[in-house]
Amino acid sequence: MDFRPSPAQQILISTARAFLRQHCPPELAQRLALDARGFDEPLWRRMAELGWPGLLIPLELGGSGGSLLDVILLTEEMGRAGLPGPFVPSAVVATSLVLTAGSPAQHKRLLPALAAGERVATLALVEESGSFELDGVTLTCAVPGRLTGRKLFVRDAHVADDLIVAVRIGADPSLILLPTDRPGIARLPLDTISGEKVFEVTFDGVDVRPDDLLGRVGGASELLAPALRAGALARTAEMVGGAQRVLELAVEHAKTRVQGGRPIGGYQAIQHACADLVRDVDASRALLYTAAWRVSEGRPAEPGVALAKAYAGEACLAVARRGHQIFGAISYCEEHPLHLVHKRIQAASLEFGDSARHLETVAGAIGLVGEAAARAC
Amino acid sequence: MDFDFNDAERTFAEEVRRFLRANPPETFAIDGMDAGYGSGANSRAFLKALGAQGWLSMCWPKTYGGREEPMFMKLVLMEELALAGAPFGPLAGVWQTADAIIEFGTERLRREALPAIARGDATFWQGYSEPDAGSDLLALKTEARRDGDHYVIRGHKIWSSHAGIATHGLVFARTSREARRSRGFSMFVVANGTPGMDIRPIRSLTGEVYHHEVFLDDVRVSADLMLGPEGDGFQALLNGLDADRFWGRFYKAPALERVLRQLVSYANTTHVRGVPLARDPGLRRRLAAIAADIAALRLIFYRTGCLIRDGAPLTYETAMAKVYADETGQKLARLGMDLLGVWGPLREGSRWAKLGGQISHLYLTTLGHTIAGGTAEILRSSVAVRGLGLPAEPKVAVEARR
Repeated sequence: MDFRPSPAQQILISTARAFLRQHCPPELAQRLALDARGFDEPLWRRMAELGWPGLLIPLELGGSGGSLLDVILLTEEMGRAGLPGPFVPSAVVATSLVLTAGSPAQHKRLLPALAAGERVATLALVEESGSFELDGVTLTCAVPGRLTGRKLFVRDAHVADDLIVAVRIGADPSLILLPTDRPGIARLPLDTISGEKVFEVTFDGVDVRPDDLLGRVGGASELLAPALRAGALARTAEMVGGAQRVLELAVEHAKTRVQGGRPIGGYQAIQHACADLVRDVDASRALLYTAAWRVSEGRPAEPGVALAKAYAGEACLAVARRGHQIFGAISYCEEHPLHLVHKRIQAASLEFGDSARHLETVAGAIGLVGEAAARAC
Repeated sequence: MDFDFNDAERTFAEEVRRFLRANPPETFAIDGMDAGYGSGANSRAFLKALGAQGWLSMCWPKTYGGREEPMFMKLVLMEELALAGAPFGPLAGVWQTADAIIEFGTERLRREALPAIARGDATFWQGYSEPDAGSDLLALKTEARRDGDHYVIRGHKIWSSHAGIATHGLVFARTSREARRSRGFSMFVVANGTPGMDIRPIRSLTGEVYHHEVFLDDVRVSADLMLGPEGDGFQALLNGLDADRFWGRFYKAPALERVLRQLVSYANTTHVRGVPLARDPGLRRRLAAIAADIAALRLIFYRTGCLIRDGAPLTYETAMAKVYADETGQKLARLGMDLLGVWGPLREGSRWAKLGGQISHLYLTTLGHTIAGGTAEILRSSVAVRGLGLPAEPKVAVEARR
């Protein structure tokens, strides 16, 4: 057993940390959160120069052939810095989907451009049920044919060049890949507390062609599973990075904020709160790395991913909430960095299945019979 | 990163499982109660069976009869024993004592104690706490006065687990008055039955005896039974407590895993109005959430185990892990009691007791776990001060002086 990142992974982590410290300070994250477009193109290009969007993509298609574990370590640093933008939806989720489901022609057309950061893709899955599972997909179309309806909670659709849309062809859950400039597609922003850019995407008689199909008809279930797993882990990594940041901020504050003649970190009430932050962060991270390692090693990972996402969703949010209490009034201000980290953790805890959904997977994995009598989520 | 065992560890785990199949744990005679930590009851017969396998001394240097196996083999052994519910109560204590004797012991201690430990003949009680020295251990009053080539120990120890059935006590006493409060302490290995030693049982809230108090009335101990450097015993003890928290709690995650499996099975097979309890959404969520806690706890301990194996410095890790282990145990026991409902409080052996009456026992014993071996409060302060560098509260964070 070995819990240490490899030397190459350590370089990835330290490079990411230094880069993000320089290019994504808290003020930038805050400014982009408040900005309607909220996309820093120069920053995205610099990330592309470092090869980040191509981390999952094989060398021969313009990427750097990293593992999901590498991506998770990088995403954790992004969460720590509060980096906004389409990295997880495009470079993790959509890229995983294209890798798994794409034809050789689609690979050649999309992956080098995704690796270079020249294209951005995103997944349009969720509908009015709010579910990240295929049973929530009711949008139907024929191929060839016309697509009419809507998707919700589509990340970064405004900067995306491609949409991967989960649809039913007949009754069969399937994936189609549409360029966002296809006539009839509209992107309507949802206004969310996290400052993440999330959209309703409407389709009004959009022309769907045979070569828009991504993977086979009826293949969405097996094709989506690895991408949703990667997305769940990447969101968990963002939560862990964010919680680590809260821990660092809170401890620094506890050492320097003087009340009653000494630093508040000298009082047991604050000490014990900080000790619990360490436990929550360490435990979440251990589950995250184990699950990501299992995926990277090609081992069965479903329960591990569910454990990590469910646990971190509760624990990292608890860290953020406790962070506010340790900071006191100052953290209630917009210019203070804590609330944005908190809101990001909140958002990440919901995407690709909330804690309740993942706990239901765990319930099955530990051998509890049947499903919950009333649907828990 | 690698989150799996290597081949040698896997092979050894299989060997332990074969041993447990050939020697079912429930067939061994029990000498002392199960205190719920996860190492089961105290069974000298089982300890001797482990000794006969060569497992008690497997990690020692060859000079002392060991096989110089890697430290991780001990983790593999403990995990398998805990998953099987085996009665290996004294194991962590004898390993720690042996390690201390190998590191600090006099030639006499090495010659006499190590072979007895290897056979499973020697077990140890800890004489640390006193009636007026609990969390503030340095307030202890027991004194050891030099008298020729002996020390004469006088004092009163309490909360010594299984002292009545052990062979030796590890008695922590003041050997000199020094300006620094943490100096002037020494540790002695004192055989049970030494004249002047009076061991009295304390009945616990379960109705059984686990703790003892020990009166030391001018107990004469040969100077070569001192363990560790004279006057520097506190430092040695602190290192020991770090180890104690790790080794004394490592097996909690697999032991809780075992209890969780029992609760899952109970929920699957118990019907209320024709529906299995397992279909109750709230219960499913609580059981799944504690499964996540147990999985995280196991990883936290293995991560700490890797740091110990690699000789990396420890600051907060064992303190945090112990608190997490003990609070998770309490949470699981509470959940078990909720699940069993009116059957929960029934004792082992009672008519209508469910799951062998073990859950009510676990519920009661786990109450003590966040107190024994460093309270959760002391340990959280230790995490904050030693791990995070927060300023120590005056008088509170004893360990901050390290």
